[in-house]
Amino acid sequence: MIAVLGLVVGVVAGLVVRPVVPLAVEPYLPIAVVAALDAVFGGLRAMLDGIFDDKVFVVSFLSNVVVAALIVFLGDKLGVGAQLSTGVVVVLGIRIFSNAAAIRRHVFRA
Amino acid sequence: MSDDNTPENGLPPERGLPPERRPPENELPPERERPPEHSSAPREASQERGEGGGRRLTGRQRLAQAVWPPRVTRAQLIVALLLFVLGLGLAIQVRSTSENSALRGARREDLVRILDELDDRTKRLEDEKRKLEGQRTELETSSDQAEEARKQTKEKEAQLGVLAGTVAAEGPGIRMTIKDRAGAADSDTLLDAVQELRAAGAEAMEVNGVRVVASTHFTDSGGGVDVDGHRIKQPYRFEVIGKPADLEPALNIPGGVVQTLKNKQATVDVTRSGKVTVDALRQAKRPDYARSSSR
Repeated sequence: MIAVLGLVVGVVAGLVVRPVVPLAVEPYLPIAVVAALDAVFGGLRAMLDGIFDDKVFVVSFLSNVVVAALIVFLGDKLGVGAQLSTGVVVVLGIRIFSNAAAIRRHVFRA
Repeated sequence: MSDDNTPENGLPPERGLPPERRPPENELPPERERPPEHSSAPREASQERGEGGGRRLTGRQRLAQAVWPPRVTRAQLIVALLLFVLGLGLAIQVRSTSENSALRGARREDLVRILDELDDRTKRLEDEKRKLEGQRTELETSSDQAEEARKQTKEKEAQLGVLAGTVAAEGPGIRMTIKDRAGAADSDTLLDAVQELRAAGAEAMEVNGVRVVASTHFTDSGGGVDVDGHRIKQPYRFEVIGKPADLEPALNIPGGVVQTLKNKQATVDVTRSGKVTVDALRQAKRPDYARSSSR
């Protein structure tokens, strides 16, 4: 419950406060958000499976974000940033879908 | 996913397999001891289902438990913090994407490419603008030329109209009145007078309201003269436009028109005038055969 509240508060804060993102971080924000979404879906699935662990969740969340940003950064340096970020988004999207399928099976039993 | 077809999927874990046939995973200790991989590739759903069955809880029940009642635990707080960060990033990204279109957050090479495209487009548009401006100048000058040509044509038309008798004319000239009771002024005499005036530079003339032009003919008819088919009677009044100082002496020369008529007992009166109006008009006849060869 508190976790859901945290998400809501975060969205509201982002919309109301309008924080300025540093220019250097800006290209990595969308990828980082997608990676974090992947971690959240994984965590939700683990919770439904009854194997949720907060330490694992934190580590996977942070490592997902960092690795995704790192890949995009590397891609930018190599001159294939656009393609690499597309690839990252595709991989993360596939994982989100598979996790969502597992969650669906738990919640709807179908 | 392939595991959609496993027979256990539709069954709730409580009513699933009998205990003796459960997969061995069910006998494992609680989930803490088995480090989960949240973001790893999904495992077989049947295995996971089996674990949940071991706790006698469905995923739905776990979800309900987690949501209500709210519990302040370390895990909840940490997850809340991380989700707060996620929500923040999500909101910022959505806002910046919807706010300033594609340019904000675009990569440097993308920006360079967009700039190049804009430069190209600017160049193309400049070229087009230059071309169109050239066309406009051309059209303006050509329309000026057409206007000038039209003006000249109009002037020429007016000049020729004076000669052809299709437009009225006015200017300096003389008036001549011939009163003739003895019938001395016949068509020959009038034609002589006209010829004399023409030779003296008369530019437009009329006699008793009939315009005299190049093709005008005089014929005698009983008691008067026919001019181009119009019968006129005396006194004959000539209105002539030309240089008065040339016209009057031309009529008055010895043996000229005036003297001849006076010899025949007619009275001739010639007066100079600064403004003579010749407003009798003549229809321009379109020639049947002659065509202009100028174009």
